[in-house]
Amino acid sequence: MADAIAVKGVRAAQAAPPPPAPRRLRNGFAPAVPGLAFLLLCFMLPVLALLLRSLTQPQWGLQNYAALLATSTYANVLFNTFAVAGLVTGISALLGLPLAWFLAVAPRFWSQLVFGIVILSMWTNLLARTYAWMVLLQDTGIINNFLIWTGIIQNPLPLFGTMAGVVIGMVYIMLPFMVLSLRGPLAALDASLFQAASLCGASRVQAFTQVFLPLLAPGLAAGGLIIFVMSLGYYITPSLLGGAQDMMLAELIAQLVQTLLNWGLAGAASFLLLVLTLSLYAVQIRYFSPRRGKEG
Amino acid sequence: MTQAFLELRNIRKNFDSFTAIDGVSLQIPRGEFVTFLGPSGSGKSTTLYVVAGFIEPSAGEVLLNGRSLLGVPPNHRDIGMVFQRYTLFPHLTVAENIAFPLRVRRRPKAEIAAKVDEMLRLVHLSAMRDRKPAQLSGGQQQRVALARALAYDPQILLMDEPLSALDKKLREDLQSEIKRIHAETGVTVIYVTHDQEEALRLSDRIVLFNHGGIEQIGTGEDLYQRPASAFAAGFIGNSNFIDIEVLENRNNIGDVRCPDGSTLSGVPLMGRTQTGKAQIMLRPEHIRLTAEAEGIGGHVTDAAFLGDVMAHTVLTGWGQEIMVRTPRQMFMGPPAGVGDAVRLGFAPADAFLFVPH
Ligand SMILES: Nc1ncnc2c1ncn2[C@@H]1O[C@H](COP(=O)(O)OP(=O)(O)O)[C@@H](O)[C@H]1O
Ligand SMILES: [Mg+2]
Repeated sequence: MADAIAVKGVRAAQAAPPPPAPRRLRNGFAPAVPGLAFLLLCFMLPVLALLLRSLTQPQWGLQNYAALLATSTYANVLFNTFAVAGLVTGISALLGLPLAWFLAVAPRFWSQLVFGIVILSMWTNLLARTYAWMVLLQDTGIINNFLIWTGIIQNPLPLFGTMAGVVIGMVYIMLPFMVLSLRGPLAALDASLFQAASLCGASRVQAFTQVFLPLLAPGLAAGGLIIFVMSLGYYITPSLLGGAQDMMLAELIAQLVQTLLNWGLAGAASFLLLVLTLSLYAVQIRYFSPRRGKEG
Repeated sequence: MTQAFLELRNIRKNFDSFTAIDGVSLQIPRGEFVTFLGPSGSGKSTTLYVVAGFIEPSAGEVLLNGRSLLGVPPNHRDIGMVFQRYTLFPHLTVAENIAFPLRVRRRPKAEIAAKVDEMLRLVHLSAMRDRKPAQLSGGQQQRVALARALAYDPQILLMDEPLSALDKKLREDLQSEIKRIHAETGVTVIYVTHDQEEALRLSDRIVLFNHGGIEQIGTGEDLYQRPASAFAAGFIGNSNFIDIEVLENRNNIGDVRCPDGSTLSGVPLMGRTQTGKAQIMLRPEHIRLTAEAEGIGGHVTDAAFLGDVMAHTVLTGWGQEIMVRTPRQMFMGPPAGVGDAVRLGFAPADAFLFVPH
């Protein structure tokens, strides 16, 4: 009896045309209007205004962009920005991978404790954390004092007011993003995959490079992109921990606006930063978005 | 004594204070299909993983061609394995999965391509070569896993319940396929299952596991016809156990008393007891339903026609249900129906006597 009904149901479903997409969703723009209007007013308009200024001040033309790329001071800032963002991303990946691995394989208690610490550090005020690093990184700070006390070094390392200090402080802030991006993919890995790889003849190195890394590539790419993009525009940490010679793009923009009142050049720098960010985002969507991963 | 191809000597494995396997010893000649059969938790996988090299035994020795495998890491053991779970590399295609063991061995490109083609033909999946594992059914995934495990011509192929996640029809198809592949390649196979039918269908020999030890080793027929223990008798095939008392022992042939007081003579005691409490095991097909005056009395509580056999359940006077299977051609007259009073007849020589511990 139940079978007959089931069969009938299947037939009916096959005969019927595919169900139309729910109408509500197609005409569903209305609720988004306030949010879209807000974005238009507070994001798109200022961006356009900036673009306009970068092209018109002091006169029409691309002179601001040319200055940005050709003047060695500004080119240096661009180089610093990429160097810091690249180093922070790379070091976060190197530190984040084993940390995420630990979270995936450690006993539940330890895994939750460490994860809690990671999250808690994210929730702590950014300024407070950066000031803490100022204390730690000083010539007479805890780190240098400790290293001198152990005899590893004689004179304090130049940590504060250098690119090294900026990178250290930013890695600390960015690391949780890497851990969060890798945690899911790592938890989904099956240990028997590596047993299979091993029996297939793969050494540890081969299992790592040919099985482990490819499977984690989407997570690494996602975390790396978030960190790289955020680092490109980072302001507080570089300005508090870095020196004048290690200026990054966001600091330059602030200085151009606040001290030099050069809105045209500041606009060009901002627009450059925006374009860089959006193109990296496009790369991420094109090659690493999870939906594509599943299809492929 | 000739040296066995693969030999396990007195393997023991403790997990903390828990002993998972104890005193497992076994010799396997080259090319044999051996099945580890036993209930869940009896130590089959642990023993298999000791051979694979993922578990280091607490004591004992594993020898391949007379040389110890202990201390040889899994990737140098030259062993193939198909796991219970699907372990294909999800980022590689079917062909790339099969090529993986050859690529890590840095074999020449042409050789890899030829071998991949050969393996795809062996498991009948040539059409699927460019699919990703997620686009395959469970049965297809296990066939690819089999191809990957055989691609490097391993000395031994291990399989840990590879078909347990598949439905019955597919399982039977793949069983014949595994049998064919064993015949074609001649590889030595150790196959783990808890399904007696699968073990009987596939194996040259069955190693019956129980509580971390080996209960009996033999062909399927050995285990069925000559079970070494009540456990073996109960695990392979259907069986009825009846508590009895041995009254008299004449040259290892006994007179025994059944719970209803009836007595039987001529039961082989197999050197297992002098006199006293014991059990006899009777296969359902060794029992006849008779109208004669002797034998154990009871009445039919269930009767089912199963095509080639009739299956009866008979409730004895002391309240035990006994299964009886009668081949169709053995019927004389209409078969007994539910509620009929019957007597159970059997040849005493068909009874297996065990002494419970
Ligand atoms: N890593 C382990 N730690 C602790 N106990 C284990 C471990 N692996 C297996 N066991 C125990 O050892 C026994 C045998 O397990 P196993 O060999 O997997 O049984 P089978 O494969 O026959 O079902 C089981 O009781 C199981 O709980
Ligand atoms: Mg098992």
